[in-house]
Amino acid sequence: MKTIITEQNGSYVAAFDGRIDTAASPAVEQDLKPMLEKNPKEIILDCTKLTYISSSGLRVFLSVLKNAKTWGGKVYLTGLNDDIRNIFSITGFINLFQFK
Amino acid sequence: MNIFKKIQPQTPRWKSSLALIITAAVLIEATSAIQYWFASNGIQKEVQHRAESELKVKSLEIQNVLTAVEVAVNNKAWWIEQQLAQPDTMWGITRKLLADNEIIVGSAIAFEPYYYPEKGRQYSPYSYKQGKTIESKQLGTEQYEYHEKEWYTAPLQSGHGHWSEPYYDEGGGEMMMSTYSIPIHDQTGKAVAIFTADVSLDWLSGVINAHHIYPSSYNLVISRKGQMMACPVESLVMRQTIQELTAKAEDTTVLHVNRQMMAGKSGQASVKDPKGKKNYVFYAPLDDGQTGWSMAVVCSDHEIYYGLRQVTFSLMLLMLAGLALMVFIIYRIARGARKLQDVNAEKERIGSELRIASNIQRGMLPKIFPPYPERNDVEIFGSLEPAKEVGGDLYDYFIRDEKLFFCIGDVSGKGVPASLVMAVTRSLFRTVAAHEAMPERIMASLNDAMAEMNETNMFVTLFVGVLDLPTGRLRYSNAGHDAPIIMASDVKLLPVEANIPVGVMTGWKFPTQETMIVPQNTIFLYTDGLTEAEDTNHNLFGEDRMLSVARNAQKENKQEPQAVIRQMTDAVHGFVGEAEQSDDLTMLAIQYTKPQLDVRLLRSITLTNNVEEVPQLAQFVEEVCEVVEFDPATTMSINLAIEEAVVNVMNYAYPKNKKGNICIEAQANDVRLKFTITDSGTPFDPTAKEEVDTTLKAEERPIGGLGIHLVRQLMDSINYERIDGKNILTLRKKLN
Repeated sequence: MKTIITEQNGSYVAAFDGRIDTAASPAVEQDLKPMLEKNPKEIILDCTKLTYISSSGLRVFLSVLKNAKTWGGKVYLTGLNDDIRNIFSITGFINLFQFK
Repeated sequence: MNIFKKIQPQTPRWKSSLALIITAAVLIEATSAIQYWFASNGIQKEVQHRAESELKVKSLEIQNVLTAVEVAVNNKAWWIEQQLAQPDTMWGITRKLLADNEIIVGSAIAFEPYYYPEKGRQYSPYSYKQGKTIESKQLGTEQYEYHEKEWYTAPLQSGHGHWSEPYYDEGGGEMMMSTYSIPIHDQTGKAVAIFTADVSLDWLSGVINAHHIYPSSYNLVISRKGQMMACPVESLVMRQTIQELTAKAEDTTVLHVNRQMMAGKSGQASVKDPKGKKNYVFYAPLDDGQTGWSMAVVCSDHEIYYGLRQVTFSLMLLMLAGLALMVFIIYRIARGARKLQDVNAEKERIGSELRIASNIQRGMLPKIFPPYPERNDVEIFGSLEPAKEVGGDLYDYFIRDEKLFFCIGDVSGKGVPASLVMAVTRSLFRTVAAHEAMPERIMASLNDAMAEMNETNMFVTLFVGVLDLPTGRLRYSNAGHDAPIIMASDVKLLPVEANIPVGVMTGWKFPTQETMIVPQNTIFLYTDGLTEAEDTNHNLFGEDRMLSVARNAQKENKQEPQAVIRQMTDAVHGFVGEAEQSDDLTMLAIQYTKPQLDVRLLRSITLTNNVEEVPQLAQFVEEVCEVVEFDPATTMSINLAIEEAVVNVMNYAYPKNKKGNICIEAQANDVRLKFTITDSGTPFDPTAKEEVDTTLKAEERPIGGLGIHLVRQLMDSINYERIDGKNILTLRKKLN
């Protein structure tokens, strides 16, 4: 599981590669911390290469969203495959995020 | 509910009755008034007729007398005129007149002054009756100059007969008299003398008051000057004139009558006597045209109308009584009708509310059979035959997480209260069993809730069962209900611990009992409406009959729930016959029909309670899914569900920092893939967690609960069992 964060004009893109299961979630959360500390106006969570996400992974996403809201930042999701989108749908998370 | 709504006191029915009574009263009174009017009119005419004929009769009687006098005098007058040349014969003539006419008591022939020069100025032979003899004398004297008297001048002037005003003959006959006088003419036709006849009027009173048209009515006769000539009070006769008598009368009509009478008119009038009583006066002159007398008949109003008034009064009383009776009867009828109507309406309303309550009660019970057509592991049939009066029987069942929760109960008492308690019980059962899988806990929660709100001391005998469908394990708890029948190879009652009903005391324990149900066996539950069904002789259907029906069904291999209940129903109907059903007849039959399938795949892995081992789990799941040929998407969702379930156990089953094992077993047959997750940690039922709300906003979303939600969504079923100190969680997914 890899998380790559890039910055472009003050907007951050976090690209996930692999599975965010229960075992991997803590590492992903750690990887996102530096980005969140910069209070970015826009965060794009790029799920193009995300193959799996468990509820612990969803909780990491929720945490990013809750954090960004404290400084008025926007969080976008992009590149979800159908299976992942289905998980978002089942859990109602699809209503929490905006998609790009 | 408006059971106690009051009826308005003034119903239209009563109003119409009132109108009827008033109409009847008006009609009766009007009839009475008209009848009185006609009758009094008739009576008045009758009185008038009687009075007039009385007047006529009396008048005729008087006239007969007077005419006799007149004729006698007139006949003698002719003779006098023949004898004018012989003055001395005049004495004899007068004496002869008296002798021939009893009624004439005196007679004179009074000549014009010096008609016979030799006889002087006042030649007037006069004879009169003195006792039985007739005396004669000269009438005119120095003291009695007759040429000036009315009896002399009046006929002289008029040229024909004249009756004098009546007078009292003092010093003579001591009687009332009137004098009839006619002129005597010589051959030249010149009046030369007046021939008189003094007539006693003693007979007049007798004639006048010999007979009365009414007992207290009276007649009177007055002269043309108003002198009282005949009246009931003898002392008034010739003592007073009618004017004097009535001078003080307040009723001026009296005076008018007097004038009319004295003027010789006839008529009638109503006058008031001095006592204020009403009297009717009918008056008419005597028809002779010479006397100027007038007669009156006086009758009292009271007497005339006494009879009529008596009759009318009685009639009025009778009518009033009749009316009162009618009012009373109508009132009673109206009230009776209203009461009856009220009672009927009340009955109708209660009846309809009871029917509604009964319908609501039955509407709450599951009634679609078979309830789970998609399942092949359980068949259920239930029936509730309500008694005439709504009762408090209930049964219910539902499947949650591969467990069949069911119950049957009987609320003490009947009627709406019982059905309300029944509804509450059923609702509590659903609520509690939604997150409790242990019968003892379901029963305890139910008992506490019921006991706390039990102000009416209504109890429920209740049997709660939880049948684990994958294993056939039946856990149950009984609160004073009849033991169900287990229809296995051998038909017998399920052993139940005796206990009190639900709702008696908070904190009471209802221990769980346990047994295994073998596939194809049937659990038959019922209420005492079955065992206590009575025939016409009040014999009970009883447990033995029930068991024998169940045994027959078993023998004939008719254990399907519907067949069992039909046989039982037929048996009880046959037994009861014509007797009225006294209680709800409620039955519920559950057949466990799990098919036995060959195991195609059986693998397992044991992990510790460390989330770092999740990738190993993912590896295991993927291998299993590959064997059963799930597609990648399904594989991913199975993977996710198993991970969530296992991580849940890893997090909660064991205390932190305490190592524990978790065994995951995958098993597949031709129909489904089953994962069994077993741990020996603290009792932990993940299915008891409440469902997460996926519609909440980000800020409101709780961190927990997502995992088990995903498991429920992704797998076909989730089932938790605690067996032998182990938590056993079973997840199933149908094969494609």
